[in-house]
Amino acid sequence: MSERDRESQGAGGTVYLVDDEEMVVTSLESYLQLETRHRVRTFVSPERALEAVEEDEPDVMVADFMMPGMDGIELLKAVRGRRPAASRILLTGYADKENAIRAINEADIYQYVEKPWENERLELIIHNAVERARLIRDLDARMEQLEEAHGELADLRRRLVETFL
Amino acid sequence: MRARSVLAGAAVGWMAARWWLAGRRRDELEAACADLRLEQADLVNSARMATLGSMVAGIAHELDTPLGALHSDHDTLRRALERLQDILSDERVDESELDEVRRIVRAVDGVHESSELAIDRMVGLVESLRTFGRPDGSERDVVDLHRALDDTLALLDHRLGEAVEVERDYGDLPEVECFPAQLNQVFMNLLLNASQAIEGAGTIRIRTRSRGERVRVEVSDDGHGIREAHLERIFEPGFTTRGARMGMGLGLLIARQVVDRHGGEIEVESEVGEGSSFAVELPTRLPREGTEWRH
Ligand SMILES: Nc1ncnc2c1ncn2[C@@H]1O[C@H](COP(=O)(O)OP(=O)(O)OP(=O)(O)O)[C@@H](O)[C@H]1O
Ligand SMILES: [Mg+2]
Repeated sequence: MSERDRESQGAGGTVYLVDDEEMVVTSLESYLQLETRHRVRTFVSPERALEAVEEDEPDVMVADFMMPGMDGIELLKAVRGRRPAASRILLTGYADKENAIRAINEADIYQYVEKPWENERLELIIHNAVERARLIRDLDARMEQLEEAHGELADLRRRLVETFL
Repeated sequence: MRARSVLAGAAVGWMAARWWLAGRRRDELEAACADLRLEQADLVNSARMATLGSMVAGIAHELDTPLGALHSDHDTLRRALERLQDILSDERVDESELDEVRRIVRAVDGVHESSELAIDRMVGLVESLRTFGRPDGSERDVVDLHRALDDTLALLDHRLGEAVEVERDYGDLPEVECFPAQLNQVFMNLLLNASQAIEGAGTIRIRTRSRGERVRVEVSDDGHGIREAHLERIFEPGFTTRGARMGMGLGLLIARQVVDRHGGEIEVESEVGEGSSFAVELPTRLPREGTEWRH
């Protein structure tokens, strides 16, 4: 990614990385630290990641599929319930197409990435996923404004009708 | 007179022909027997290779994670280096560049941490492979069976998945003189069978005990069990209920052969719907004739 691209990325987003293998999250975190402005948090336990989501809203969650206790699909599904705007990315081990398809349907994930991942490709996917989360939140806010405006309009119309009829 | 001698000649001729035919049949039978024996040796060999194949697949799979991390770390390091070279290209570090340098240092620190984890994992894997000994299994050694069991389990980890729990009930064991690579194949076959008997979730229990000069390793599962009619046939070459495409029916045959050569015994108990338990009992020292064995 060029210097200009990086700058246009602005302050970066909040990215959660979840994998029971510490070496994987540390590796990814280091790369993102060097190459992006994202705020990165790492978790080796899916349960802890879910707890963190209660208090904080990540733009993106990248979760490994194979984890003890709770697999990546379950985790992303739970995150979807709590933070619907957050983009969900599933990391899958060896070409695990079947699970990936299940994930797309069940947890409505944004992307799945096969291991071993390519740093630059994952960076791009995360970048787009941050943008997507922001757009969705932006859209949500606008919808709310619109609804408010609509409510006001309806109110005004009612009062107009009341005064003139 | 003439007629009689002709008759006698014919009789002799007939007998000679029979004799000759019988000899030929015997030769044929012997050849067929030898062929069969060769074929069986071939089969046993290919089953060994299949076990070895599962091991290799296990190792390859276990290497994926640390290799993936190292691959990423290497890429990050290269980028960090490029950035540093960039900053130093004008032979000095400006105040404005200091923050960037700090960021690079933090990233390199993380890379250092994750690659250390990855390298440690790989060193551990290679060490566990060593206990499998030389690939032809002819190397004799005195070993800790618990380590051998753990190493075999490590290579099976990905096959067992999340649904199969492994319980270790390890007693006090003396070290055992054996052909470790061969014994590991026995454990591998018993553990593979146990995991294949479990449909959905289940538990595999490994129990070890020592009794005088003998040690006992039990591999139990709560899988589908073995029908009584099958119990006496499971050690036969080619007996399988897993279908010819999935099983060769040689795992237990090999296990028994290896245990025999160690001067030990292998026993089975099973109940349909409850599970199965295979017990291997071994002397702590190899019998004299066993030490001569190679394959
Ligand atoms: N733990 C077990 N639980 C239930 N059945 C078992 C168990 N172990 C062995 N068996 C039965 O014994 C048969 C023979 O086992 P064996 O390991 O010799 O061959 P296999 O597993 O069928 O094929 P392979 O040559 O690949 O090992 C199996 O097909 C199965 O029916
Ligand atoms: Mg078998």
